[in-house]
Amino acid sequence: MSARAAPSAPGPALLGRLLQPGLMVVTFLVLAVVITAMVEPRFLNPLNINNLLRNFAFLAIPAIAQMLVMKSGGFDLSVGAVVAGSSVITAMTMSAVLQAYPGMEGMAILIALGVAVGAGMAVGLVNGALVAYQDLSPFMVTLAMASVVMGIALYYTQGIPVYGVADSFIAEIGRGRWFGYPPVLFIALGIVALLVVMQRFTRLGRHIYAVGSDLRAARLSGIPARRTLLKVYVMAGGLSALTGFLMTSRIGSGQANIASTLALETIAACVIGGVSLRGGVGRAEHVALAALFLVVVSNAMNLTQIDSRFQTLVLGMVLIIALSIEHLLLRRRLT
Amino acid sequence: MSNDGGTAVASGQAVRLASAMVVLRMLRLPIAILVVLLGFALFEPRIVSTGNLRNVLIQSSYLAVFAMAQTVVILTRGFDLSLGVTVSLVSVTVAIVMVHYGGTGMAVALGLGAALAVGMAVGLANGLLVGGIGINPLVTTLGMSYIVVAFATTISGGFPVTGLPGGFTATLARSSVLGVPTPVLMAGAVFAALFFMLRATRFGRSLFIIGANPRAADAAGIRRTPVLVAAYVVCSLVAAVGALMLTARTGSGEPTMGGNLTLEAIAAAVVGGVRLAGGEGGVGAAVMGAVLITVLSNGMNLVQTDGYIQQIVLGAIIIGSLIVNRDEFRR
Repeated sequence: MSARAAPSAPGPALLGRLLQPGLMVVTFLVLAVVITAMVEPRFLNPLNINNLLRNFAFLAIPAIAQMLVMKSGGFDLSVGAVVAGSSVITAMTMSAVLQAYPGMEGMAILIALGVAVGAGMAVGLVNGALVAYQDLSPFMVTLAMASVVMGIALYYTQGIPVYGVADSFIAEIGRGRWFGYPPVLFIALGIVALLVVMQRFTRLGRHIYAVGSDLRAARLSGIPARRTLLKVYVMAGGLSALTGFLMTSRIGSGQANIASTLALETIAACVIGGVSLRGGVGRAEHVALAALFLVVVSNAMNLTQIDSRFQTLVLGMVLIIALSIEHLLLRRRLT
Repeated sequence: MSNDGGTAVASGQAVRLASAMVVLRMLRLPIAILVVLLGFALFEPRIVSTGNLRNVLIQSSYLAVFAMAQTVVILTRGFDLSLGVTVSLVSVTVAIVMVHYGGTGMAVALGLGAALAVGMAVGLANGLLVGGIGINPLVTTLGMSYIVVAFATTISGGFPVTGLPGGFTATLARSSVLGVPTPVLMAGAVFAALFFMLRATRFGRSLFIIGANPRAADAAGIRRTPVLVAAYVVCSLVAAVGALMLTARTGSGEPTMGGNLTLEAIAAAVVGGVRLAGGEGGVGAAVMGAVLITVLSNGMNLVQTDGYIQQIVLGAIIIGSLIVNRDEFRR
């Protein structure tokens, strides 16, 4: 089953082609990189590139989580809350293990990873169970779960950062370099590659498209729709939790307020990456490019010292413009 | 024969039982509110004191206004995620205008005009994108919220705007007419206007039809674009009225006033039984939901529940009412 709805109708050749869902994000990205590099030479400085790629990883992983859910016809507004909760759990678990077994840093890191990702998947399981087996609105369910998860994270920390994570965790993962690049970059790229394979070559990948395009048709053709939905939310919870784990290595402490706007940013990345809001359409590689685009734009605005308030305005405009283009193109293709 | 009589009696009982169930369902929110009140009263008798009840009434009138605003667009299968930041923008705009013109009666009038103009502008932008171009309301209003919050923080510099005319704050927040506090009166007026609009006008009925079945609306000759634009404008205008009430209560223009309002307003509407898939519910449900949530948070405050625990409870309540309401809509 193809991700694309239909072969594109003949249209104004070049512009139309450049604005197609897959290529639109490439066009946007190339424009953003070229313009920024011309206006601000510091953009290409290796330090800045590294910084940018790290931010890309921190957006791409949760954006992939969001994409999975949106492709299945839902929304996951609990992404940011799970990231924050996972950061707190990572730090608490790690410092507890280190206190019990001083010096066992590797073990502490692995246990923390397991506990945090497990907790994230548990949140995903609740989301998925309510959406798939109770037929509730994904938007409201994940919104309510975000409130619950944030409440728990804030209650246990009272808003205070949790210290005591392993030194090597910060040095190796948060500040380390693999082949000269931030480790999180490779993790993010690995996840994107995994998802590309999954969406193309596995049964689960095809089922997600089917469930998102038409739930009833999927059910009638014998696809285990509920179980597929459940898996989607569990995977999304796990990926969000992994993001929180990785962010903790960068910040050096567990914090409940690190990702307050992340759910919205991931939705923006998905929309710009051509994920349909009606479900059934979306590709991991496009979403990753869209995340890179958003990070480049925000990096460019930071470098040129544009007021941070103005930056949110630009993000809003980009989101609305991308949607309008997608919508107008879709309408043209349908008529 | 006797067999037939038996079934008639049985079905008569069934009908009575069914209608009793219907009445119970209709009354479930008032009952829930009473149960919560009395439950908290077991731990803290002050909760049912006249002073506190009056307090709860005043507090819930603010949330009720925002929940009613949200309901108007939810009825059309929409959402307004920019509601909270619109409240922030209105709040700082009103304060800046009133302070700039020296706090005279003229300044207050200009401030009120500015509030409605801001509400109108945001509503028009949302409405044209959703109704005109036809973009998904969730993402449209999400994008709009980024834009509106940028305006709110820029024009205020990110700080509260103080120096509001005393007459404005005293009248809107602390006065009362025949013993009824002004905020409650204003919420009542908004309720009456919206109730009339939804039940007795063509526009109101079009909202329900569009929400219940957009294609049927097209077939019935309803022009969706102007109706949707008007729905978003009404939503933002009502939110602006609520913003005026809140600004008067805090006594300053706050760029962060809208913080959690969007979600609380949606939660109140959902808890009250407004259907998210559109087409069912009304402003009465939104008001009930707002009162229930306010009673809960007031009770938890008085028994000194941790604020973060309250956040957890709110989430659980939303999920619980989603499950309860789903069963009703299934019937």
